[in-house]
Amino acid sequence: MSTVVAYTWARDPGNAAVRDDGTVDWRNTRTVAGDDDPAAMAVGLRVAGGSDLVGLTLGDGDASWGLARGAARALQVTDAPTGADDAVTAALLAAGVREIGDVEVVVVGDSERHPGVAATLAGLLGWPALVGVADASLIDGRLSVVRTAGDVEETVSVPVPAVLGVAAASAESRVPGMKELLAARKRPVTKTTVAELGVTVPAAPELVSSRRPERQGARVFTGEAAQVATELVAALRADGVLS
Amino acid sequence: MTAAWILVTDADRLAACVALARGAGASVTCAVVGPRELADLAAAAGPDEVRWLEPAAEVPAEAYAAPLAAAVAAAGPQLLVSTSAPASRVLLGAAAARLGAALVPGVLAVRADGEVLVVDRAALDGAVVETLAVTGPLAAIADPGDDPEPSASTAPVTVLDGGAPAALRVEQRQAGAATSGVRDAARVVSVGRGLKAKADLDVIAPLLDALGAELGCTMPVADDLGWVAKERYVGRSGQHIAPRLYLALGISGAPQHLEGVRDARVVVAVNTDPQAPIFSAADYGIVGDLYDVVPALVDALHR
Repeated sequence: MSTVVAYTWARDPGNAAVRDDGTVDWRNTRTVAGDDDPAAMAVGLRVAGGSDLVGLTLGDGDASWGLARGAARALQVTDAPTGADDAVTAALLAAGVREIGDVEVVVVGDSERHPGVAATLAGLLGWPALVGVADASLIDGRLSVVRTAGDVEETVSVPVPAVLGVAAASAESRVPGMKELLAARKRPVTKTTVAELGVTVPAAPELVSSRRPERQGARVFTGEAAQVATELVAALRADGVLS
Repeated sequence: MTAAWILVTDADRLAACVALARGAGASVTCAVVGPRELADLAAAAGPDEVRWLEPAAEVPAEAYAAPLAAAVAAAGPQLLVSTSAPASRVLLGAAAARLGAALVPGVLAVRADGEVLVVDRAALDGAVVETLAVTGPLAAIADPGDDPEPSASTAPVTVLDGGAPAALRVEQRQAGAATSGVRDAARVVSVGRGLKAKADLDVIAPLLDALGAELGCTMPVADDLGWVAKERYVGRSGQHIAPRLYLALGISGAPQHLEGVRDARVVVAVNTDPQAPIFSAADYGIVGDLYDVVPALVDALHR
């Protein structure tokens, strides 16, 4: 039985520029590791506990990202659409998981920007899921999953197979070194396509228009520190926030 | 008429989600997985009906994702809505998969145009609002505004068959070791990477005193740097707070941080970078160095 970690499945919003008319220019749509991918990989390693850990990536991103962090091999769906909605992304990941086969746990970053992917992936696989996960381990064939909400920490026992959406509680603490990067390049990456997987993806929503939000952010005070501080305090008092 | 189901596991923004679904001219069913009190709150939030599923003791709401998805599929609504709460999202994902629905996060508004649902959603961390047309069923993770005034009427509550839940079980639940006070504070001043050294918290202390505010921080300040206790970290995986005043000092405004302060009444940002995303989320801003602005604010507050 394998553990699958999905990573590098979304494009980088830092590569999008908003034009003056509110339309978006994606200057680069290459998939990149998301903010939660390192945490997902760390949980995947703990859950796998030395057994088979398989990476799953979408698009033309760097499949070796996960191989350098502990995945033994990877499946890459090279022509996966990167601008899709969360349901399409989940359908592609589900097809990848089925292609890998004999999987008992799928770990995916619970991305702030794509908050429906992990849950819909679980729905498509027909497996239970928890998202907002901080940590997990596999003990006697069941997952022991830790999640926190504010001051409360909860440990939930989850049967396998299951999907875990992991939310990063910290930035990546250990970036792979040259030795791991070189070793990663020798690990196998199986490349496949949407057609080869035979995925039936739901129709993505049609983009009708795009605009800048009406509320253009803060009322910004500019000038000398003493002056802007006085103006801000006056505004907050007028708002009733300060007495 | 469009039918909408709202999948509910907590009381956050219940009435706002109902109002969002009403925007599509929908008849609204709240499917509540939780205690009776939550079902009663949902009934008063303005839906046409509440279907209520009470979880067994120590069984999390997520265990009922499959039976609830079956109930949703039987009803066949065109619109599913949840908040971004983790348990609600799991219910939504299971139901969306069952319906073959498109799944769109950050939804601000939905309206019906014949058979098509037209969706406004925030994208690119709020930098743009996209209008999307969805012809099939839609699962929306809502990002609604504040709850509207409570409804005068109360919807009927009927019990939903929980079927066979997945074998999930809460084994342990514990409160955090320390209660920092940041969670319930009326005023919070948070520091981010704009703070250059731990010792510079001394620069912030007079402002905390002048405002009667609690100290908060971003994830890197608590985690990577360890300058502020972790229970004061504000963000998606940290504290979710709703102060009357939130003052963000040297904080760029990453989405995961902003999620923790979206219920703050007034957000003030101080940052040297005028392009920092925090200014999009703030009500007031000062483009400047916190080391200049904070002492000036203390003086202004004392006048």
